[in-house]
Amino acid sequence: MSFSWEVAAIWIGLALAASLISIRIGVSVALVEILVGMLGGNLLALQPTPWIDFLAGFGSVMLTFLAGAEIDIQVMKEKWRETLSIGFASFLFPFLGAGAYAYWVAGWSLEASEIAGIALSTTSVAVVYAVMVERGYNETGFGQMILAACFITDLGTVLALGLLFADYDWHLAAFGVGTGVTLWLLPRVTPWFFAKVGSRISEPETKFLLLVLFALGALAQAAKSEAVLPAYLVGMALAPFFLANRTFAQRMRLIAFAVLTPFYFLKAGVLVGWSAIVSSLGLIGIFLGVKVAAKFAGVWPLTRVFRFSHREGLYLTLLMSTGLTFGTISALYGLSNHYLDREQYAVLVTAVILSAVVPTLIAERWFDPGGRPPEETLSRRHSDRGDQLADRRGGGG
Amino acid sequence: MWHKILVGLDGSEGAGKALAVAVKLAAQSSAELHSISVEEKLPHYAATVGEVQESKQEAANYFRKLVAEAQQSARASGVTLHSHVMPGHEVETIVTFAKDHGFDLLVIGFMGHSKIFGRIWGSTSQNLAKLSPCTVLVVK
Repeated sequence: MSFSWEVAAIWIGLALAASLISIRIGVSVALVEILVGMLGGNLLALQPTPWIDFLAGFGSVMLTFLAGAEIDIQVMKEKWRETLSIGFASFLFPFLGAGAYAYWVAGWSLEASEIAGIALSTTSVAVVYAVMVERGYNETGFGQMILAACFITDLGTVLALGLLFADYDWHLAAFGVGTGVTLWLLPRVTPWFFAKVGSRISEPETKFLLLVLFALGALAQAAKSEAVLPAYLVGMALAPFFLANRTFAQRMRLIAFAVLTPFYFLKAGVLVGWSAIVSSLGLIGIFLGVKVAAKFAGVWPLTRVFRFSHREGLYLTLLMSTGLTFGTISALYGLSNHYLDREQYAVLVTAVILSAVVPTLIAERWFDPGGRPPEETLSRRHSDRGDQLADRRGGGG
Repeated sequence: MWHKILVGLDGSEGAGKALAVAVKLAAQSSAELHSISVEEKLPHYAATVGEVQESKQEAANYFRKLVAEAQQSARASGVTLHSHVMPGHEVETIVTFAKDHGFDLLVIGFMGHSKIFGRIWGSTSQNLAKLSPCTVLVVK
């Protein structure tokens, strides 16, 4: 289908509606966009067009890049034992559990079962972070360890998505070598390049990063891998640089959230058919249950090994059972590459959305390990990272 | 009569009236005056950590301005206002704060919800009046 301003107006209108609803009800715009997308797909019979597919794909690459760039490497180094083991178990158990259920019990194909395992293995760092901030745990060692473990889980997810379906030939070798060299060079080249070109209205810094992401995405595509894998790794490699250059990180977020991620999340919702949800309600519930049970089987025993209290262990395990962005990215990858049909896609996306909400509510309501939200003094807030954004906006930026 | 007064500050018209009354009471009783503002609208189920951080910052900017104005207005009446901004649920956070810091009076503006919501859930002011550990003055 060729480009149509009418289609563009409808999609951006839905994105605007989602933003307004999100502001009103205090739920993230991503989740509202998926739900609004579902309404658009089912009531207005909206379907993605090729240019929407491009923007949505670009949006998912930006999302994974930003997620990688938010990693606090320092915490990961300090608590590497807990972080690595909990994060890895949090990926592995649900990946195997949900995949096995899909394959042996639900009768899905091997590829569809692998996608189910990947989509339900995720932990949403952002969902967990919002809970942590609200309760003040993001300032504690316990909270920072949970967040770092979530990144490891996500790394497992993107590695599985990027490597499980790839062609193991010289294309993959070229992709591996290209990614390795880029990751080695980027932390050195990026600060040098940014200092050289400076901050300009033509945004050479942003274009430089996009070039890196697109070029590695092209290599990934040639190897039948997935562009979100190098995007996440590039984000991780540049995380220390991004933490030191928060204004630039916010600029990237601004681009992503204004025009890219709305198309991604709306598309993720548009492709979910209500009839598929209604006819598979039982399976959706089972997948959610399998995900949470597998997280308990993998993560909870480790919380005992690392001497967390009983309540902390339950709280941590429930938070590690959340999922959203990477789960929908995995399901959409499965649908786009014909590993999933529309009904299987609807089942997985709905289970992923429920996994963002249900474990969070249970953790907050019944298993909060105590402690109170810290008082946010104004002086601390003044030094907070977003001040730079406020100053920039105030200055007409 | 009052030693330690806490006033809820959220930028609403009712909260403005509550502040004026609280400042007057603090001046009359030579009481210590504190304000509490609660960030309620951090996005749940976010897609990126940055989304939460930016929302938090927007709230911080809003409350910074609000607190500065409130402190200026208190100062004009010769009262020092100690301000606190905290994340969390409005009722739970204010009640816990009042309990932990030994306030003897909580002053809040009347915060009405829609009739249907109020009937089912109870308004914020109703819930605060019910759960607060100290005397509550609701200013209309």
